[in-house]
Amino acid sequence: MLDQAEKAYCLALLALKDKDYPAASDHFNRAAPHFKDNREFNLLSQTTELLLAVKKERTKLDSDDMIELEEVLPYGKEKDFC
Amino acid sequence: MSYSSALQSLERLLQSFLERAVAAKERRLEVLDGINRLDDIARSSQEGQDIIESIGEWFADQGDWLEGNGLRGGDLGRLDRILAAINSSLSLSGDSSPAAAKIRSELDRWSRASKSASQKLILKRGPEAAESSADSVLLFGKLLDRLAGRYDDSSRSKEHLLSVLDDSLRSAQTQKSKDALLLSAFIIYYLKQNNYKVGPYVRRLKEAEALVREERQHA
Repeated sequence: MLDQAEKAYCLALLALKDKDYPAASDHFNRAAPHFKDNREFNLLSQTTELLLAVKKERTKLDSDDMIELEEVLPYGKEKDFC
Repeated sequence: MSYSSALQSLERLLQSFLERAVAAKERRLEVLDGINRLDDIARSSQEGQDIIESIGEWFADQGDWLEGNGLRGGDLGRLDRILAAINSSLSLSGDSSPAAAKIRSELDRWSRASKSASQKLILKRGPEAAESSADSVLLFGKLLDRLAGRYDDSSRSKEHLLSVLDDSLRSAQTQKSKDALLLSAFIIYYLKQNNYKVGPYVRRLKEAEALVREERQHA
């Protein structure tokens, strides 16, 4: 039988193949204690973490833009009522 | 370049790197996925679930594995252990239906095939002395590939290189594997260069070397 860390590493790679990066990150975290000295593991898991951080930052920037749009719309409606 | 477009560019770069890294391991991933699915089936069988249909599908999906295609030595060992666990669960369940009997006979066939596939790998190696110098360059490259695969398998779930060395020396002694012997020697030399005390490991290496030599003389 495979141990849980081996299964987690395998599932992380399969999640990367499916481009499901949050799932890959979860699986990498579960496998991490057993693979902390494995260079390939560290490279893939840290690249995934960096990618998720970049995606999060981009989402934050996009939502900032949306707030500005929401403020403009009520102003336009009020103007119509006058 | 704005902050937003720099982030977008970085995102594309990282995603492309991960895609290429995974694409380079595609065949390996198929093997790992297959082993992982078989392991899930084994766990289900130990929980008393009916696995007849799922194991039947697995046998059908992984038919080419019977030829040993793309499987490493470590994979064959894992397969053998998982198949044995499934066989044991099926025996305990007392299921004597025709479907269960068919699955048991298929399990035996796979178990025999995985053993003969691992033997085939050993028989493929030719004597180095008979090769030309160009062949020796090619053969050494192939050896390094095999050693990298063996190291990859052996180093998983190990926390220190000494544990990998211990595992490799044990394989050299029990399986009389020349590859395991060479990997062990490589690790010992690396550790020696990094000021580790390697005396006991060198003794074990010499013992393993004698066993491998004896095995080759009888082959």
